[in-house]
Amino acid sequence: MSEKPSYDTSFAQEVFQNVDYGEEIKMCMQCGVCSASCPLAFHMDYSPRKIFAMIRAGKREEVLSSRAILLCTSCYTCKVRCPRGIPVIDVMHGLAHYALKQGFVPRKATAAFGREFWNQIYKIGRIDEKDLSRRYFFEDGFVAGIRNSLEMADLGISLVLHRRMKLLPERKIKGINSLRKMLDKAAKMGKGGVSL
Amino acid sequence: MKYYLYWGCSLEGSGSNFLVSLKPACEALGIEFEEIVDWNCCGASVSYVGANDLSIKVLNARNLALAEAKGGYDIVAPCSSCYIQMIKVNHEIQEDEGLARQVNEVLAEGGLSYKGTIKVRHIMDVLYNDIGPKRIREKVTKPLNGLRVAGYVGCQSVRPYGEYDSMERPVVQDRLLEALDAEAVPFPKKIKCCGSGIFLPEMGYCLELVKDILGDAVVHGAQLVSTVCPMCAMNLEMYQGRINQKYETDFNIPIVYLTQLMAVAFGLDLKRDAALNYNIIPPEGVLKAAIG
Repeated sequence: MSEKPSYDTSFAQEVFQNVDYGEEIKMCMQCGVCSASCPLAFHMDYSPRKIFAMIRAGKREEVLSSRAILLCTSCYTCKVRCPRGIPVIDVMHGLAHYALKQGFVPRKATAAFGREFWNQIYKIGRIDEKDLSRRYFFEDGFVAGIRNSLEMADLGISLVLHRRMKLLPERKIKGINSLRKMLDKAAKMGKGGVSL
Repeated sequence: MKYYLYWGCSLEGSGSNFLVSLKPACEALGIEFEEIVDWNCCGASVSYVGANDLSIKVLNARNLALAEAKGGYDIVAPCSSCYIQMIKVNHEIQEDEGLARQVNEVLAEGGLSYKGTIKVRHIMDVLYNDIGPKRIREKVTKPLNGLRVAGYVGCQSVRPYGEYDSMERPVVQDRLLEALDAEAVPFPKKIKCCGSGIFLPEMGYCLELVKDILGDAVVHGAQLVSTVCPMCAMNLEMYQGRINQKYETDFNIPIVYLTQLMAVAFGLDLKRDAALNYNIIPPEGVLKAAIG
């Protein structure tokens, strides 16, 4: 008797259940329009189309550690062009969020930038661009922070001189406490998976 | 005509020349704006790193709820990230009862609710459909006299629904430029993404995107690039020096907001209203030459 090919669908089930828009993957027909449209697909280890195929094939480690899921510029081209109406971008964002929660770091710099971005929204309700860049530059400690800041100093100074940087510290929005209550509740109620 | 203006975080910082020029240019056309009191960030492009999808929906639903509670007007979001986040969440809530219930359950924590009665608009939508090129042309006192402009739409400002313009071959910005008597040059890369919100952490990859966009504008004879997105404007303008270093190019092309060009063509003050002194690559020379 010949052996039947075996399929491990446990990772696909995990994605359907825990990842925002994960179930949309079921609609994918592997045409590759998303990959052909993606501005950064060239720099990805696996194109969006391949990521979807690998989820079905049970390649958990490869997918959740792939830099592809954190290289999204959010241009929405994949979503507007998908002939089967899959919001590819939303699936990729969902995968990135889930991967980070599971302890994978698919792309260190963008993960750090995004984390600071979200922390700031949670802290004050808005984004203070200068504070965001400073925190991002100093992610890896003081020495790296100084090096990063010096590398970007010319651009920062240029923004200040052209009144393109808010110099006063950004203040919390008035409703920050109620916003945080809502966000805490949304974090529990929504998908996205729990932290390990 | 009155609207809520949801200008967002960038327009108070790196996109300040957009907000400064937007107000007088729109006022000249009889547009009135009211701020959404105590608005919060839309979540923009990278919040998903730290937040699940429902959290980002709630951010936008809160702003929609604050506007709806006062009622009456459409929301205009000039920043393309604010626009795409808000219009997407708004549609999803309007179309999906289950989601609407879920979002309202969360909003109730803060004593808010959202019924889904508000409309979200892009500033180009308002300029093109509510005002129209004809009325804009009537306001022009300093025509741009055939100034060759590449109208850079970028990715988010006509997406994800293409509500007021084609998502593949947008023309609205070009028609508005022509109303100012500028020449909208052919610009095949007008909807190619510049790297947007991840430009800073992924600069190694994104410089190349901008190099190609700028190259396309220059090849087609543009004297300056016009845009309606604060990320596009920053990425295209600020990094030209870095691109020149890396690729041995010699870009030095001004990047302006459409509203800055409107302020110039309406004969408003070049600094106070058009905010031309806010630009890092000075556009005054080419604009003054055009208006004579």
